[in-house]
Parts: sequence; C-alpha cells; structure tokens
Amino acid sequence: MSPLPELIEEDISEVERAMQELLLKSDANVALLLDKGGFLITKCGNYQKFDTVTLAALAAASFAATQGIASLVCENNFSSVYQQGEENSMLVLNVDDNCLLTVVFSANISVGAVKYFAGTSVKQIAKQMKRARTRAPQAGLDLSLLNMADPTSVFRKKRAG
Amino acid sequence: MINQASKELQVKIVYYGPALGGKTTNLVQVHDHVQTANGQKGKLVSLATSSDRTLFFDFLPIEAMAIKGFKTKFQLYTVPGQVIYNTTRQLVLRGVDGIVFVADSQYEKMEENVKSFQNLEENLRSLNLDLRDIPYVVQYNKRDLPNVAPVEYMEFLLNNREVQVPSFTASANKCEGVFETLNMITRLLLNKYVNEANRKAA
Repeated sequence: MSPLPELIEEDISEVERAMQELLLKSDANVALLLDKGGFLITKCGNYQKFDTVTLAALAAASFAATQGIASLVCENNFSSVYQQGEENSMLVLNVDDNCLLTVVFSANISVGAVKYFAGTSVKQIAKQMKRARTRAPQAGLDLSLLNMADPTSVFRKKRAG
Repeated sequence: MINQASKELQVKIVYYGPALGGKTTNLVQVHDHVQTANGQKGKLVSLATSSDRTLFFDFLPIEAMAIKGFKTKFQLYTVPGQVIYNTTRQLVLRGVDGIVFVADSQYEKMEENVKSFQNLEENLRSLNLDLRDIPYVVQYNKRDLPNVAPVEYMEFLLNNREVQVPSFTASANKCEGVFETLNMITRLLLNKYVNEANRKAA
C-alpha cells in the first residue's frame, strides 16, 4: 500500500465539494473521508454530535474486517459496507487504495439513493487523490527546529496529587 | 499522514506483543496519566471480550503538541495477543507508523515473546512492510513480578538484529516505564519525519 499523498488546501476543498454535493443530493447527514489506516482526513455535514475520530478508526477497521471476510468466501471485492439502523444507517465505500468514504444518513433514506449519488463523489475524490499523488511533493514538513534530544516535552505524565 | 490544509500530522503507533503481556494496560495508563495542553485526549475505545481480553483492538487518540504550526495527533492501537486472532493483527497493522513491542518478562513467557516477534515480522511482510523501515522500541514489561528473566537475556532474544533499538523495563500496571517507552517511539518517529523532510529538501 503506497502511503497517503500529502494533501494541500486545493485537495481538501475539492474533496469537500464532492462530499457536500453528496450530502445535498442524497439528504444524508454526515460524510467522512478516512484513510484506511483509520485516520480522519476531512468531514462534512452535521457531525457535531458524533465522535468522528473514533468513528473513523472503527469504520476503517470494520471495512478492513469485511475485506478479510470477503477473502474467506472467495470474493476479492466487497466494495462497500452497509449498516442498517433504526434511526441512522451507515455506508462505507472504497475510494482507492488509501481512502474510504463513510456516509451517515437517516434510516428513512434508501441506501440505494445514497449509493447512487456516492458513486459520483467517490470518482471525484479518487481523481483528486490521484492528482495529489502525482504532484511534486515539494512542501515537506520541516521539523528541524524540534529538539530531538529531548522528547520529554511530547508526552508528560501528570504529577500525582 | 500529513494534511497541509488542516495543518495536521497524524501518527499511528501499534502496541504489539504476546497475549496478556500488558499492551492494553499501557494504553490505559497513558489515558489515565497523560497531561495534555487543553484536554485534547480522546476516549479509550476497547473492543474486548467480557473477560477483558482484547478482541479486535484498543484505540486511544491523543493530540500531543504543535510542531511548527502542525497539530500532531497520535493514535495508539493495541492488537489482540492471542495466537488465533492473527487476521485482526494484520488489519490493525495497516498504515502503521511506529511499533512498541511489549514483551512479558516472566521466564515461562520467553517462547511466546519470540513467537510473537516472529509473527510481527511475518505480518509486516504480508503488508509489504519491513521492520527495518519502521521505527520500533521494545518494552520488557512486568518487571515487578518475582520470576522475571534478566534484561540481558531478553535483549539477546528480542533485540538482537543488525540495529539494536531502544528498550525499556516497565511495570505497566504501576505506570513505570510507560511514558519512557511512548516518548522514545515518538522521538524515533519525529526523527524519521525530519530525515524525510531533509531528504526532500536536498
């Protein structure tokens, strides 16, 4: 698996545009773009009531588990995971080698509609990710000012009492 | 993962090791004792059986500090140590940036330690990764128990490759050695990012 490309503002705004369009057309509540390792890349919609960081980690793991199940039933491509709920449902779709799109929507909405509109978004996001990957990675992260000899500032244990 | 738009650097650290070695305890201690700038500590999510054995993984997100304007978000994972859950271990290793190998210091656990380390190497290979490219540290846990093997012996068994990596003794249940281990893997990871950034700049 090649690592996730470095993303700049243009990538994120293009991806968010595709996700917003999906939310608008399908009437879904939340769209999240995740890295398959479980990182949240960006989010759109009414996500305030959700713990999106944990949601991203668990959705990525659940998708990965489903891929494992696919190979056990001699299928090499389960491209999405659908969880039907009583109030909210969730759909996780494969975008490319690195990313997943997670959509949370009201259980009243048909999953077929969400899947249909998400298809276009997935293509747009995959295209932008490809663009990011081919872009010359000039803007590396310069951490040279950090004092590597003393990392104790990173995690500190609370004092007792 | 580097996100220039939201100025975030996200890092995934996986705690690996034999069953009942104290991987989850490490995470619980970090969660209970970490001092964060403004409460940027996430919930510890544990997918465990009723008897507290890790079934899938434990997950703890923490925001550590800002480096040159970048928010550094750490995600700590554990894997289930039991041999049968190998598929799950492979899933959790996906996208890993750094590894903490938690070994059980009790004499009778040495074989399990060595097998678990071999299993780590095999699983990385199955993901087209190589332990030589991934920063990792070794923790000799449960030093407070009476029947522990000498550190030198454990170094010989588990830390005897071309490049010796930093190792720590710990009693995770008392939070001894937990932060030392975490800080060292963080240091190795940040060093790797600096080197990569310098290489790109050159």
